[in-house]
Amino acid sequence: MNIQFKKGVLELCVLSMLLGRDYYGYELVEYISRYIDISEGTIYPLLRRLKKDGYVTTYLKESQEGPPRKYYEITEEGKKAYEELVAEWNHFVQGVNTIVRGEYDD
Amino acid sequence: MMTKGEYIQSLRTYLKRLPPEELEDIIYDYEEHFQIGLSKGKTEEEIARELGDPRNIAKMYNVSSKIDEAEQNPSTKNILKAVFSAMALGIFNFIIVLGPFVAIIGLLIGLYGLSIGFIAGGISAIFGTMFVPFSSYQVTFGVNSITSISFGIGLTALGVLFFIACIYFTKLLYKGTISYLKWNVDIIKK
Repeated sequence: MNIQFKKGVLELCVLSMLLGRDYYGYELVEYISRYIDISEGTIYPLLRRLKKDGYVTTYLKESQEGPPRKYYEITEEGKKAYEELVAEWNHFVQGVNTIVRGEYDD
Repeated sequence: MMTKGEYIQSLRTYLKRLPPEELEDIIYDYEEHFQIGLSKGKTEEEIARELGDPRNIAKMYNVSSKIDEAEQNPSTKNILKAVFSAMALGIFNFIIVLGPFVAIIGLLIGLYGLSIGFIAGGISAIFGTMFVPFSSYQVTFGVNSITSISFGIGLTALGVLFFIACIYFTKLLYKGTISYLKWNVDIIKK
């Protein structure tokens, strides 16, 4: 799959997961790479960008095993971005499905 | 096959141009990633392989950082740095874009030249006419001095107007370049 396309989709996946609860980086990487084939290291630049754009904030939280972990939390702006992305995504998928399933009008 | 130390060191090398604070912040994420992965029973080599080539990851940070820099401080140098690092990532379809980009810059330089020429010409016409009576060379062009001075003022005003338009277009070009680069990086538009 096209790398650019994947990055946009990854952003949607991350924001979508963060709507549910806060995650630390490793968890996000672990869950996403379970379903989507990616270089795991590319999630961190993405998370950094989301933070710079104000879509997420981070905080450190102690863990039982080892040093504190960096958690990511979605912001109101992030929620808005999610709404837009998910609408675009659904629109896109519907369009592709219509064509792929041959349901289009000639 | 890379160990944790090699991977982190490699990242550091590729990211050495970033501000130290930002670099440490980035490295922290990968240190954490290795450390959690190891605690889950993965080997260092396994984690490094799943993370992917540190060179590619570093490029993503470098482009992102240069675009931010160019946006905050839109100097020609910063914009060019952003363009070149985006080209290195292969996301700047520059063969298609480079031609028009260079043409626009050329046009802009030409317009700057033209406006400066107008201003210089206009000022010369004004002062030239004013100083004619005091000059030992009595050169006349067959126009009276009022026409000549008005022409000078008009030409200067036109030149200044052109110059302002040039500055405006330069700013537009800066903004356009930055948003084009951002669009390339983000792709899914917001």
